[in-house]
Amino acid sequence: MAAILFYGGHTFSFFAMKKIIAWALVLLVFAAIGCKKDDTQKEDKYTFVAPANFPAPVYTFDNNPITEAGFKLGKKLFFDPILSVDNTVSCNNCHNQSLAFADLSLHPFSKGVQERQGIRNAPQLVNLAFMKEFFWDGGVTHLDFVPLNAIESEIEMDEEIANVIEKLNADPEYPALFEQAFGSSKVTTPLMLHALAQFTTMMVSNNSPYDKYLRGEAALSEQELEGLHLFEQKCQSCHAGILFTDESYRNNGIDTSFTDIGRARITSFDGDIGKFRVPSLRNVGITSPYMHNAKFASLEAVLDHYSNGIKPSLSLDPSLKDGIPMTTAEKTAIISFLKTLTDKDFTQDERFFKE
Amino acid sequence: MKKFLFLSTLFVSIALLSACKKDDDNKTTYGTLALEFDNVVGDKDLNLVESTSSDFKYKNGLDQDFNVSLLGYYITQIKLEGPNGETFGDPVATGANAADVKGIYQILEGDVNSQVVNLSNVPSGKYNKVTFTLGIPAEIVQEGATGGVLDPAEGAWLWNWDAGYIGMAFEGRSPASPVAETQWNPENSVQIHIGGWKDIQDNPNMVNNVKTITLDFGTTVNVGEKYSPSAHLKMDLLEVIAGHHATADFSVTNQVHTPAGGHDFAENLHGAFVVDHVHQ
Repeated sequence: MAAILFYGGHTFSFFAMKKIIAWALVLLVFAAIGCKKDDTQKEDKYTFVAPANFPAPVYTFDNNPITEAGFKLGKKLFFDPILSVDNTVSCNNCHNQSLAFADLSLHPFSKGVQERQGIRNAPQLVNLAFMKEFFWDGGVTHLDFVPLNAIESEIEMDEEIANVIEKLNADPEYPALFEQAFGSSKVTTPLMLHALAQFTTMMVSNNSPYDKYLRGEAALSEQELEGLHLFEQKCQSCHAGILFTDESYRNNGIDTSFTDIGRARITSFDGDIGKFRVPSLRNVGITSPYMHNAKFASLEAVLDHYSNGIKPSLSLDPSLKDGIPMTTAEKTAIISFLKTLTDKDFTQDERFFKE
Repeated sequence: MKKFLFLSTLFVSIALLSACKKDDDNKTTYGTLALEFDNVVGDKDLNLVESTSSDFKYKNGLDQDFNVSLLGYYITQIKLEGPNGETFGDPVATGANAADVKGIYQILEGDVNSQVVNLSNVPSGKYNKVTFTLGIPAEIVQEGATGGVLDPAEGAWLWNWDAGYIGMAFEGRSPASPVAETQWNPENSVQIHIGGWKDIQDNPNMVNNVKTITLDFGTTVNVGEKYSPSAHLKMDLLEVIAGHHATADFSVTNQVHTPAGGHDFAENLHGAFVVDHVHQ
């Protein structure tokens, strides 16, 4: 108030004062209402919130609490091709928010630097804070270490982490942003990984029509409900719980032999050849193609596979040896249910938009 | 009321002062103890050569010639014990900031400073045993990105794809190894990277290669304010590649980059370390 009254050191006439005071009061009231709302929003906006019906988060937030500065730094890095050897490929290249951070269906295998092609379908980035292991073979057990793989993979970003750190330290903007987020203007690997983890752990998807149905906020159609019922009977043994995966590694019969040995790459156990992680089915309606090798372009093709297309191999999951019998009508219902798992609140969440 | 307050304050003060006085009588003092790691190959000193060198100084358990261009390992969770119940645990701490990381050491042949671990704040007393973890165990890996000695941009040996740290790495050349020249390695290269910290259920390979090793000093050493003792440990590479559990044949075992592949070498580790002598 005092600032407004004595602006510029000028004194005002009596009437001008009255006007100024009136407007000041109006502004104050708006500010009071506005500020209050903003404060609450600001609090929630960059705070990790575990949905009530989710399991406890696995990520070590104690080591890396989320802050606005850390989240925004992680976001900047996520969109920055500086992480790649020739500064052309960023995380965003293969992880697109409108597709729940999966890649386009045009890219069954994503494109790395110099158009090099990937070997496995890029998964969506959803509910990572609740996951115990990462990648199709579960080789990484802490979210912090995930980005190192894309950065150092020859077919993805083909860069060395030491070079990335050097580039970030030489960048005109990053050192100050790291200072803001972590109190250190010297960029290091763990700080960079922490920033990225602050961004990616915030990718929580729990506002799909199905989630709203669970909370009593919305209804599902008759067909969708029938699909849910069938899903619970036929699919939930693997695609279990609110995360829609039991996080196990299974061979679901898409091939008789495997050039990509999957989980066996990590365990060196022959019995694991051909086993891949059960993916979460959240947002499955928008993350085609499906399977680690992008074998199926549509959900119809997936369900046809489960009903009639199971291929034998040594490690085929015992639960699938007779396939999953489904009529055409049942498949239609299941697919309509699966589409209720698409979370538009998540895909359109402004917090993840590039600044 | 006033009197009561005065008396109770007096009483508490006396109690506190007496407590302090008691502590002064039995004050704990501390000292240091240095662990020095000397790497050898059988009865020979370990001398590194360039990765392309054809100077083969050593023979393995099958009489195959070889040399060494890289050797190192991680030590952590160091504990000391004494004959009268003395114990000391070197504090271990992790964090993104290098300054927060404690109790984790990378012993590197060729880096003299890395080969001495100075334990400080060791309670005064007698000690005759040391225990340490060889490799980076689950409880450290699962803390996530860690700075300083575990920062991959600073030379930490982190496997990206099977996230965890190499516990011990040995690289060199052997004429017995048929490996062709690559972009990064000369022909006849031998690379043994022993990693793996997970026990995976139903996996007959049992790939947790992180080992806890306990060594007797063979004598008792005093630690205290007026002492600067050091224990000289020897790590025998020959015991790792040709030890009580298994002997490596470089013609077939020459590129080890998986937990299962490192298993036999890890099983040899218990026999690879000894306390050679102790200085009081």
